Amino acid sequence: MAEVVLKGIRKSFGAVDVIKGIDLTIRDGEFCVFVGPSGCGKSTLLRIIAGLETATGGTLHIDGREVSKAEPSERGITMVFQSYALYPHLTVRQNIGFGLSLAKVPKDEIARIVTATAATLQLEKLLDRKPKELSGGQRQRVAIGRSIVRNPKVFLFDEPLSNLDASLRSQMRIEITELHAKLATTMIYVTHDQVEAMTMADKIVVLNGGTIEQVGSPMELYNAPATPFVAGFIGSPKMNLYEGKLAQEMGCQTYGIRPEHVLLGAEGRWQGRVKHVEHLGADAIVHLDVEGLGSLVARTTGDTGLRPGGDVWASPQPGKEFRY
Amino acid sequence: MTRRQYWTGIIATVLALVIFVVPFVFIAFTAVKDKAQASHLDFTWPLQFLFWQNLVDVVSTRNYMLLLAYFNSSIITVGAVAMLILFGAMVGYVLQRRQSRWNKVIFGCVLAGLIIPPAVVPTIWVMQGLGLFKTIWGMVFIQVAYGLAFSVLLYRSFIATIPRDLDEAARIDGARPLQIFLRVILPLLKPVTVTLIVVQSIAIFNDFTNPLYYLPGKENVTVQLTLFNFQSQFSTQFNLLFMNILLVTIPPLIVFIFFNRQIVAGMTAGAVKG
Repeated sequence: MAEVVLKGIRKSFGAVDVIKGIDLTIRDGEFCVFVGPSGCGKSTLLRIIAGLETATGGTLHIDGREVSKAEPSERGITMVFQSYALYPHLTVRQNIGFGLSLAKVPKDEIARIVTATAATLQLEKLLDRKPKELSGGQRQRVAIGRSIVRNPKVFLFDEPLSNLDASLRSQMRIEITELHAKLATTMIYVTHDQVEAMTMADKIVVLNGGTIEQVGSPMELYNAPATPFVAGFIGSPKMNLYEGKLAQEMGCQTYGIRPEHVLLGAEGRWQGRVKHVEHLGADAIVHLDVEGLGSLVARTTGDTGLRPGGDVWASPQPGKEFRY
Repeated sequence: MTRRQYWTGIIATVLALVIFVVPFVFIAFTAVKDKAQASHLDFTWPLQFLFWQNLVDVVSTRNYMLLLAYFNSSIITVGAVAMLILFGAMVGYVLQRRQSRWNKVIFGCVLAGLIIPPAVVPTIWVMQGLGLFKTIWGMVFIQVAYGLAFSVLLYRSFIATIPRDLDEAARIDGARPLQIFLRVILPLLKPVTVTLIVVQSIAIFNDFTNPLYYLPGKENVTVQLTLFNFQSQFSTQFNLLFMNILLVTIPPLIVFIFFNRQIVAGMTAGAVKG
């Protein structure tokens, strides 16, 4: 249980500034997700918190203690890696108990803790297997088990689900969220997948080019994105964003409207031609070609009768437009 | 399999037999012959099978010198191979994992160890200066010095295939650098270690020239040097010489047969990613 405070954290690799001064407070017990495109510095920031990278500048406090120079094992953190990073030559039991054996915990105590943890994660039957004999989801659970036994103040997750297939990913999302609810520990989670960010986070930190674009709850970011970048990044399909003539007409530099807030009908503001329709079942994504606007994406009901080549009128839902 | 492949296979097998098995059979035959028949040095069936008698003669020659030689050679082999593995893996690990501007210089030195031929006389000067000349440990260090470059190269390229995440996970688990190396990395180097054990132990056990130069003295004899017991300028006892060869060949052969599979795995490990 700990608060994580970053003050003016900077990181440079040679002349390249990867993190350009980050101030952030992650409250005790919060599930905080760092999200952003590749190369935005989210993993580097997580590694700085973990102590695997040293910050070029700034300070880091975990649970009120300054740990900027501390070894990873002294920070009270633990980390789940994208590649799971299980020790291939050790069994599941030994993998989970590795940290405890390093800390010279008595053997019977290690056995007790490992068994209890395995029970929590439904790994009891796999304890004597080697990692290569496990499926992706099971490996991920072992990696989480290895983290739990150390009883950390802060859990760090570095894109832990990106190697799993879609159905397993959504299952593990729920498991990690439930784990957070049960342990009530501070968790910091890095992902490039905005669906993971939206579904799991108490707080989302959107990073871009080494700086924070916006911090807020998932719905805050969805309803009131502070910048066009956040507007385009949060939400799927992404928001339609326009600059130039249309934006000027709307009295702004960038004009945005989410696909779910575009109404299609027999009349409206923009006339467009249907380029492509993606049927998702419950709803459909319609790609339109609008003269003077370019492409426009709209989300509509799944039983839409629109066909490629057909003409349709589109209008923004009042009060749902974004102007920057 | 086509007819052509079939015949190519047969020819290859026969050739391999001629090249590898015939000399061995020749050694075995000559080793059990009597002195007179052996002196003809031809590939004939032994008239008498004097296996046990020749064996006892060879072992008991010059006050059981062969047994002392086995003892010395074993110490040199075990000592040198253990050091080659430990230091080779450590140097390979640090070279691969810790990037610094010295890496290129160190790597250059390692390559120089492979490329530059050893010079005997200066080495003897150095060993005399260190008080290691004519000592078993001096010989161990010589073997380590000659084999370390190869061992470092092999370990370094294999360690490159071990994900760095493992080191970091161990670090987060609270392991110190030496613990990361000993408990996480070293066990994963098994394929290369087995290869090195086999290749180096055979090379060191069978080494003739280095003990000849650096380890003179009757009490320092190694197995290969016992071959001198049965040949001199004017006469050679071929039956005993070949029995000696047979006895000297057996230990490396056993090592090779046991570890054969792993050697290939270790030699190709790290060659391709995946």
